[in-house]
Amino acid sequence: MYASSRVSLVALCTLAALALTAIVGPQVYGQSATSADIFNLNPDSWPSASHLLGTDKDGIDILARLMMGLRVSLGVALFVEVLNVLLGVPIGLAAGYFGGAIDFVLSRVADALFAFPGLLLAILVAGVFGPSVGDAWGGLGRLALVTASLALVSWPLMARYVRAEVLSLRERDYVEAARAIGASTPRILLVHIAPNILGLVLTVTTLDMASQVVNEAALSLLGLGVQPPHASIGLMISNAIGVLNINWTESLFPGLALTAMVLSFSFVGDGLREAFDPRTRA
Amino acid sequence: MLAFLVRRFFGLIFVLFAVTFLTFIIGHAAPGDPIQNMLGVRQDPATYHRLIHFYHLDQPVLVQYGNYVWRIVRYLDFGNSFQYNSRPVTAVLGGALPVTFTIGMSALALATLVGVPVGIYAAARQNRPADRLSMAATLILYSVPSFVLIPILLTIDIWLEQNGYPSLPVANWGTVQQAVLPIGVLAAGNAAYLARLTRTTMIGTLHEDFIRTARAKGLPRWRVVYFQALRPALLPVVTYLGPAIGGLVTGTFVVENIFNLPGVGFAAVNSIEARDYPVVEGATIIVAVVVVLMNLLADILYRILDPRIQE
Repeated sequence: MYASSRVSLVALCTLAALALTAIVGPQVYGQSATSADIFNLNPDSWPSASHLLGTDKDGIDILARLMMGLRVSLGVALFVEVLNVLLGVPIGLAAGYFGGAIDFVLSRVADALFAFPGLLLAILVAGVFGPSVGDAWGGLGRLALVTASLALVSWPLMARYVRAEVLSLRERDYVEAARAIGASTPRILLVHIAPNILGLVLTVTTLDMASQVVNEAALSLLGLGVQPPHASIGLMISNAIGVLNINWTESLFPGLALTAMVLSFSFVGDGLREAFDPRTRA
Repeated sequence: MLAFLVRRFFGLIFVLFAVTFLTFIIGHAAPGDPIQNMLGVRQDPATYHRLIHFYHLDQPVLVQYGNYVWRIVRYLDFGNSFQYNSRPVTAVLGGALPVTFTIGMSALALATLVGVPVGIYAAARQNRPADRLSMAATLILYSVPSFVLIPILLTIDIWLEQNGYPSLPVANWGTVQQAVLPIGVLAAGNAAYLARLTRTTMIGTLHEDFIRTARAKGLPRWRVVYFQALRPALLPVVTYLGPAIGGLVTGTFVVENIFNLPGVGFAAVNSIEARDYPVVEGATIIVAVVVVLMNLLADILYRILDPRIQE
């Protein structure tokens, strides 16, 4: 069913390959991602035998940094989606199923967060709390802050999708039947409604991951994400733009990696959407 | 229309309060003492207390928020910056807002002027090479984020400059040539999306009965496409303008930082690094309010244009 689209399969394999590189790569590849060989300093060098993708302005190997950057991007995207699901799904369920005052309050909260265009609120939160979080908890703390701020601005969308689906699901016959035989509300939600939104949640999550990868790169590009000497795709591109006249390949590789991630997530998400769409099922 | 406007007006008030409240709370929840940072090594209890009073930091938070909103509404006064010898925020951001507005609106206009005709062209030649080629190109342009496209364009530009061919400047703001790259990059992604969107809706409209009737009556093809099919097909495009403006905000922030354009995004990020929270709050609120108002305008425009919505 999912496998019927070749493009989706290729995208899934690409994604698996990227994930594998991110997880295993830094152990397998010899060069360090955070320190340069100060006795053989060769900044902004082109791809060579020892540095497969060249070095950046500090002489640090680009492939090593790229693999760490992949870790950051995929990790942040994954955890943002986990937070999205943990926040958005219950809120959407509650708003959609119970309606009335609960729906009104929750929808107003979501609308208030929706009012901030794009990443504006994420930029504000990451910028305002960044330095102190970085001082207190280091690089991991800043990653957590980036994850939290991105999740803050994207859970309303998930909640909205879930709420819309629940609004239609709660009128179905089997829900009415369950109510008629006296099933308790938690049971209805857990046994009858939640399993039927799983497809939607999975599809929205995957498609959203494509955006979150770009969002994390944007935050890092603006200097609000992970800080040097840690690596992130946005940070690499930001540094590379400064030395474009010396070595233009420095920006090419992070850009290609980012594009590969975005396209893979998008095509996998499209494949999932077609697989779960009741109209196109065999 | 009146009921719609009244409802939207109350929604607008709620959104304005929500945006200002959230921004204010986040800005004032920032750890650290901004007055101490400002005074640096010249700590002096008298000056310290005077500055605390000047920035209204000695009052309860809700009172501060109330004063903040009242001053914005009454005097358009967003408070004073922590940097720049306590200049008002409006002085710091005043020059930046027109720049950002120009960039954003030009990018949107360019995207519409390029994307919609390409979409129409592709729809009129559906499934032929021109269509497939433009759809492949737009898919790439649309999925590649702007900061991947920018280094590619800059590399080409630098190569042109180093080899003596005419080239575009890569930073700063002032002349038309300096505006081409940033606005072009911002417009590219949206133009690609609009091209795909227009193509889809146009194809849908071209299969409708009223188009077949018009062709059966003998009207020439180009007339049918441009005068009969275009108007209903453009409605989703108008709907997209709202979210497009929201997406342009993030894109403008990134582009301003890369190209060193003196806009609101550039000022905001620099202020964040300098821990100048009043400016950051002011920038966030101004941008959010402008976007909310433009969304409202787009909604009203859609209601006027769509003949299916009865008043």
